[in-house]
Amino acid sequence: MLLQGKRLLVTGVLNESSIAFSVARLAQQAGAEIVLTGFGRGLRITERIARKLPDPPDVLELDVTDAGHLERAATDLEARWGGLDGVVHAVAYAPESAIGADFLAAPWDDVATALQVSTYSFASLSAALAPLLKAAGGGSVVGLDFDASRAWPAYDWMGVAKAGLEATCRYVARDLGGQGTRVNLVAAGPLRTVAAKAIEGFSSIDAAWQRQAPLGWDVEDAEPVARVVCALLSEWMPAVTGSVVHADGGAHAMGLPPTTPAGGSPT
Amino acid sequence: MSSSVYDRVTSILVDNFGVDSAAVSPEATFEDLDLDSLDLVEFALAAEEELGVRIEDEEAEGLETLGAAVKLLEDKGATVGGEG
Repeated sequence: MLLQGKRLLVTGVLNESSIAFSVARLAQQAGAEIVLTGFGRGLRITERIARKLPDPPDVLELDVTDAGHLERAATDLEARWGGLDGVVHAVAYAPESAIGADFLAAPWDDVATALQVSTYSFASLSAALAPLLKAAGGGSVVGLDFDASRAWPAYDWMGVAKAGLEATCRYVARDLGGQGTRVNLVAAGPLRTVAAKAIEGFSSIDAAWQRQAPLGWDVEDAEPVARVVCALLSEWMPAVTGSVVHADGGAHAMGLPPTTPAGGSPT
Repeated sequence: MSSSVYDRVTSILVDNFGVDSAAVSPEATFEDLDLDSLDLVEFALAAEEELGVRIEDEEAEGLETLGAAVKLLEDKGATVGGEG
């Protein structure tokens, strides 16, 4: 199986619509052993939702902005497994003023929070777990992205945070390459997750995305994204690092919507 | 509204979410009860576990008042064991 015997830490599982939930489910089905993390009130929710996975995993408390939590997670995983084959970073947050609001009016403190949770944490989580990844022979770090090469309706400072995330990914790939750790992002098309639905006005891009993607795009189905995450966690992309893989139906590659509707000839 | 489902929902809200029982009424909106989107995710899970009825994300989106939530649960066949 694709992930047979892999020991994986998966952050960001909130409910069954979470991209990370699909990743956790597929990873278990592919033979991986996983541990989830949760944060604050989300921790209780993650503990409940963990019971819906094929093999209910343990849930660690992890606030990625808390150095003590990062250290504790690393200690727990070391005692549990002695090494770590993969990490899924599915963490992002922006205060209301910084997303789906008035971009030019967002105060620095709120923007700083968005960047700390959504961008810096990719580096700090990778750094905290680097020794465990090294102990496993390198391992793979995979983060979730939304194409940051252009501006989107409503996405606002989260778009800036994702641009920073893409750069952070390249630098973490640079610095962990020597120990054999692969570091990549998956840029998803829009999905109707709890996180996405909380962004005022963001759903306006759903229909446009479906038109833009030559393969079409289902905003309700996270599995196509989760499959790419699992592929990156596996041994089958051994020379890929510092990359953004687009799991978006191909929308990012089109200048304008294809003239033929996705999935076949015009009806 | 005085069904057993309503009573159970009320007790979930008071016990698990720190909602003031005096603020609970069928007309109360989730906003009135200070429940945000994260609370609603957890509420849907708790209701599923305790009442055996699954609230889909799309259904939860349309819910504004407690009464509407109880009606949805009842329409979907929620039952409260040991009281009926």
